[in-house]
Amino acid sequence: MKKRTLLERMASAPHLVWMVLFIVAPLLFVAYYAFTTPDGSFTFENIAALSNHAETFLFSVCMALISTVICLLIGYPLAYCISRASARAQKILIMLIMLPMWMNLLIRTYSMMAILDDGGFLNNLLMRLGFAPVHIVGTAGAVIFGMVYNFLPYMVLPIHSVISKLDWRLIEAANDLGCNNFRVLTRVILPLSVPGIISGLTMVFVPSISTFYISQKLGGGTFELIGDTIERQFQNPVTYHVGASISLVMMILILISLAIMNRFSDSETGGMIA
Amino acid sequence: MKQEKVIQLQNISKSFDGEKILNNINLYIRDKEFITLLGPSGCGKTTMLRLIAGFETPDEGTILFEGKPINDVPPYQRSVNTVFQKYALFPHLNVFENIAFGLRLKKLPEEQIRKQVKDMLALVNLKGFERRNVERLSGGQQQRVAIARALINHPKVLLLDEPLAALDLKLRKDMQVELKNMQKRTGITFIYVTHDQEEALSMSDTVMVIAEGEIQQIGTPTDIYNEPVNAFVADFIGESNILDGVMTADYKATFSGHTFDCVDSGFEKNEKVDIVVRPEDVDVVPCERGMLVGDVTGVTFKGVHYEIIVDIRGFKWMIQSTDYVAPGDHIGLSIDPDAIHVMKKSRFSNMFGDYSSFSDELEKLSDLSEEENE
Ligand SMILES: Nc1ncnc2c1ncn2[C@@H]1O[C@H](COP(=O)(O)OP(=O)(O)O)[C@@H](O)[C@H]1O
Ligand SMILES: [Mg+2]
Repeated sequence: MKKRTLLERMASAPHLVWMVLFIVAPLLFVAYYAFTTPDGSFTFENIAALSNHAETFLFSVCMALISTVICLLIGYPLAYCISRASARAQKILIMLIMLPMWMNLLIRTYSMMAILDDGGFLNNLLMRLGFAPVHIVGTAGAVIFGMVYNFLPYMVLPIHSVISKLDWRLIEAANDLGCNNFRVLTRVILPLSVPGIISGLTMVFVPSISTFYISQKLGGGTFELIGDTIERQFQNPVTYHVGASISLVMMILILISLAIMNRFSDSETGGMIA
Repeated sequence: MKQEKVIQLQNISKSFDGEKILNNINLYIRDKEFITLLGPSGCGKTTMLRLIAGFETPDEGTILFEGKPINDVPPYQRSVNTVFQKYALFPHLNVFENIAFGLRLKKLPEEQIRKQVKDMLALVNLKGFERRNVERLSGGQQQRVAIARALINHPKVLLLDEPLAALDLKLRKDMQVELKNMQKRTGITFIYVTHDQEEALSMSDTVMVIAEGEIQQIGTPTDIYNEPVNAFVADFIGESNILDGVMTADYKATFSGHTFDCVDSGFEKNEKVDIVVRPEDVDVVPCERGMLVGDVTGVTFKGVHYEIIVDIRGFKWMIQSTDYVAPGDHIGLSIDPDAIHVMKKSRFSNMFGDYSSFSDELEKLSDLSEEENE
């Protein structure tokens, strides 16, 4: 390897300092707290305490999976339709999809509450029209709705970006060989958009499993997700260390699932599978 | 059966952005023939193939397949397959699955698919390539996969859009022979597009020359070469000296200040015509025996023959001769009556000059820019 000049090393120094300070150090702190007691001695107790939260954890995984699948079911057709539109329309539609992302998650969630709450906009409207009001906020459905609403763009954008870059001649070739439009979708477009789907799935699943705000607000306090648990542990200095251990385990699980996803997408684009 | 018309285009016109690309095209294609659409880049060859394949719909006119109109039949229901200009192989499928694509859609049993793909791979010389990733194949191999993928469906008609354009010269020559053999063996009608006149002449049963959105001439390669209908075809196919002439009487053509015996008749007296003389049909003779006399201005050795530029009354002729003459020599030229081809004047007359600015380098440059336009 070529030796780097002093200048080059100095140029990359701020970058390095930044990474150590804001990425590596916090992670080390998390690990440190996870394996220590409040007085600083080494322990496995915090890890052992995880079993108390197993149920919450499983529930969170289920909720995250459900909302990820719903995001895929809504997001894929949406992305596909957008990519069929004219270049101008595509730009506008993508803007619309991204627009909510520029707003703070808290604000979006509060406005969702204002709309869906028992005395909120939707129920007012329903009652005016003579329908019975529906109880939404405080149900599991509301939490999932909140996640889907908030994270859908992360599904649509990567899928759209893959589909819109597809070589249209492949579609013509498939047509030529006997595919009607539906089969073109299943035999060519879908398999070729797998990388987009994979990155969409991870980009939705990861924030879904660690969210705490959405469940607190739209769940009306009736549901606890693992994110809420972590938040609660960190608010109390006594349970601080348990919070760290849950975080650590979550992080490791997420990293493992990312690795599996990546392996999967690599072998997929590598060219087997009919 | 040999004469059955598989495909007919009737009064086909097509415009893009208000510009007429194809203008009132009429043609029929016979079953089992190898027909080549030949023309300069941008003349509408690809568009014509896309109309037949169903990727474009004509603005006017009817496309018939075995006598039935197919204007409204979508591409996937036409018994026509295409070998695309840039192959368009499926990157997510290996060689085997690319070739099997059409059969899988027909839901054939697995062992039949296996057998047919195997036969196809043998036909295109790709035995043992089943599991290969198509993106890691060479251009020639991708080309073969594309041909196999189309042929395996046993289409009535195979459309090939400049399939050899991306290959190097040697491979191109080999593939020309292979394609021709495949066509004979399978008995499938080939509609072949190229802008390479040599390729067209050597492979086809029928050549169709297109320019400016119109068919200029349809005929066998020898007809097209020996009897071009106008100056465009004469210039586009092979080398030719195209001169202004006058038919002073039947079988008498006057050009370059000399009246020649020729084999053409039926023109009006003193009708102005275009005369084509192929370079290889001119004989170099001593001055006193020459019908025409001129000065040699350039000589290029071409292997089999010399390419000689001769100035005759200010018009630079190109002639080919196996005998060497030196630049500056004063020589005579002799032309047999059947080497003189007389054409009616057309809008292409006078568009093609003599060989005064001719050089191989220029020709290569224009070839390059043609490729870039693709
Ligand atoms: N889809 C299209 N939209 C607009 N113009 C087109 C389209 N397809 C072809 N053309 C134009 O039509 C002309 C003929 O194109 P093409 O049929 O591809 O020519 P060739 O294959 O003979 O080189 C070109 O000038 C090209 O720019
Ligand atoms: Mg073309």
